[in-house]
Amino acid sequence: MGGRLEFCGVSASYGETQVLSDFSMTLEPGDLTGLIGANGAGKSTLIRCVSGLLPLTSGRILLDGEDNAGFRPAARARKVAVVPQNFNVEFDFTAEDIVTMGRNPYAGEKGKSASRERRIVREAMERTGTAGFAGRLFSQLSGGEKQRVIIARAIAQEPEIILLDEPTSALDLSHQIEVMELVRQLSAEEGLTVMAVLHDVNLAARYCRRLVMMKGGKRIAEGSPREVVTRKNLNQIYNMKVIVREHPVFDCPEILPIRVLSGAATDRPLRIHVICGGAGAGRVLEELDEMGHDVSAGVLNQGSDDWAVCRALGIPMSEERPFTMISEEKQRENLEMMKDADVILVADIPFGAANINNLQGLEELGVPVVFHSHCQDFTGGGLAERISAIRRAGLLAEIGDHDEFLAMVRGDGPEIRKKDGKSE
Amino acid sequence: MSKEGRKKGIVALAAAGCLILIYICTITGITSIPVGEINRILASKLLGAGAGAVDAGSEAIIWKVRMPRVILGFLAGGGLSVCGAAYQGIFRNPMADPYILGVSSGAALGASLGIIMHGSGGFAGLSLTALLAFAGAFATVFVVYHISRRGRTVPVASLLLSGIAVGQSLTALMSLVMIFNVQSMNQIMFWTLGSLNGKGWPQVMLAAPWLAAGAAVLLSMRRELDIMLMGEETATQLGVDTERLKKKVLISSSVITAVLVSVTGIIGFVGLVVPHVVRLAVGPKHRILLPFSLLFGGTFLVICDTLARSLSPSEIPVGIITAAFGGPFFLYLLRRSGKAGG
Repeated sequence: MGGRLEFCGVSASYGETQVLSDFSMTLEPGDLTGLIGANGAGKSTLIRCVSGLLPLTSGRILLDGEDNAGFRPAARARKVAVVPQNFNVEFDFTAEDIVTMGRNPYAGEKGKSASRERRIVREAMERTGTAGFAGRLFSQLSGGEKQRVIIARAIAQEPEIILLDEPTSALDLSHQIEVMELVRQLSAEEGLTVMAVLHDVNLAARYCRRLVMMKGGKRIAEGSPREVVTRKNLNQIYNMKVIVREHPVFDCPEILPIRVLSGAATDRPLRIHVICGGAGAGRVLEELDEMGHDVSAGVLNQGSDDWAVCRALGIPMSEERPFTMISEEKQRENLEMMKDADVILVADIPFGAANINNLQGLEELGVPVVFHSHCQDFTGGGLAERISAIRRAGLLAEIGDHDEFLAMVRGDGPEIRKKDGKSE
Repeated sequence: MSKEGRKKGIVALAAAGCLILIYICTITGITSIPVGEINRILASKLLGAGAGAVDAGSEAIIWKVRMPRVILGFLAGGGLSVCGAAYQGIFRNPMADPYILGVSSGAALGASLGIIMHGSGGFAGLSLTALLAFAGAFATVFVVYHISRRGRTVPVASLLLSGIAVGQSLTALMSLVMIFNVQSMNQIMFWTLGSLNGKGWPQVMLAAPWLAAGAAVLLSMRRELDIMLMGEETATQLGVDTERLKKKVLISSSVITAVLVSVTGIIGFVGLVVPHVVRLAVGPKHRILLPFSLLFGGTFLVICDTLARSLSPSEIPVGIITAAFGGPFFLYLLRRSGKAGG
């Protein structure tokens, strides 16, 4: 069954470049561990080290307690199978030929029968759903079929440990899921120790019980997906704005990559308050935040899409319980937040009895209000009444979509009259 | 199982075809001898049947000249092709041939030294030229192997590059030898083109055991050679000791090539083209690729040599024939199969 693989303070380098430094990790028998990290973090190098392809400069790798360096290739291949990242075969081998190569480590064994060897190959192909095209040329299979054939070859090795190097990177969506299901089966049903290098944090979080995050040849986080896939950790490995949230279906975290951080914030930050609470303001909130403006929002019902975006981005907001009419208290809290704003955006949301009081008292703040003219009114005239009050106060500007507002903020559109006549 | 049976049938058929072609080559020649007489001579020599009345001259031509020459041609063509197939496997390079590590250049330098010394000496039926060619060939592989070493490993890329570099240097040296010995230039030139002219049983007896041993070693590594086609790293991960495999292939191929070159000179193209042609026909598996390369390579060279000694009264070096026929044929196959063939 599954074997134990231990990395004890492993360092390795390509020439002058150190790719692993003092890396330690233990794969327990039967574990399915995902290895995540940016390109060049040393993930694939770990596999090369286990295969004996790259000598360690210090530290040790233990296979079931024995020093990996002492294994001959055949003995090691009986314990550890590798599913490499690149498996193009330019020669005319059939799928079955390829899987049969997995039996090579046992070639020197005495008393093995040809029929048993063929049975092992056949079973490996059946378990991976590749038996149907055993006789077809490997080079003519699709990416997903090839990947499964290579996994079948690894199974035919009858190993205790399987290491997969980005098994899904070249596959389309359905094949990615198919291959990951197969990988999970190997650990869950066969009890094999499995480690997969994965680019896709979401696949890793969904399928692996344990994740190890690497950066610069070091381990920077380890634990359950919930412990490892956090905004703080992700910020360490990717120079990106990401949103981490609960997966809507599976019991695991999920990330939404937003944008690569540019570091080019505006030199004239505005205080902007956004009245929202539906599903349409996520992008404008994110872009305003990204531009470096001081954004707040309210009043939002918890659980709404806009609320989730504000929470993920850390935008201060006034919140109300889900599906609840905005209370007077919250309405006042919202007015308080808007007081020092340079501009208020009324985003594209429907107004009904439950949220119309969001617009209560705006005309008295003296803050310019930019109103999205597509807002629907379900109050029977309440919205029009509020809008005309704000217009009478001389504070209203109308827009047809959020991009117009972004243009205004950038200074490419109609000027935003700043409070206290600070207009430029 | 019937698939296996059919394969065996094809192998037997191919082998029979090759035997027939070799027989036709044996009865073909400048001196015309009646087929019946040739058959009687062959029967008496090979099967121990009573020869009856045969002309002593005919017997000498058939048994002392043509027969050993055909056999040597078969050994040379087969040996070079087997080595080429194995090299293309471990180097994963379609341009690999038995001479790629500089064996031919080393042998040529040795041979040219032997030629300018006017071959006083010799050993075990071998001329000084052949001995020096053998020494040159083997020394070259040894040097190339050790230049390419990086610690415990011998990377394929550095083997190929050092092979080319060392080969070029040795060729330059040989040219220098030729320039300073203009009177031997023709002889050296002819040697480098390769020929089976004037070769007899001693050369056959010398080459055969080495070829048999080398080919047996290569064939014993057929499974690892297949896996090597997956790339060296994957091969290691599948349990192949790639360094050991490379060493075994290099040594056995070098022995075969060095022995053959020292006996026949540099016969080009066979070892490059035949494995490709065979691969296109029977696939990449070495279990079948190696024996077929031996069979087809041998037959191909016997045919080329028959043309070399029959086309014109003065012999054409067989290397010219192999290149002249092999090149276009290879191009034709490449175009027809529409892929790189290796």
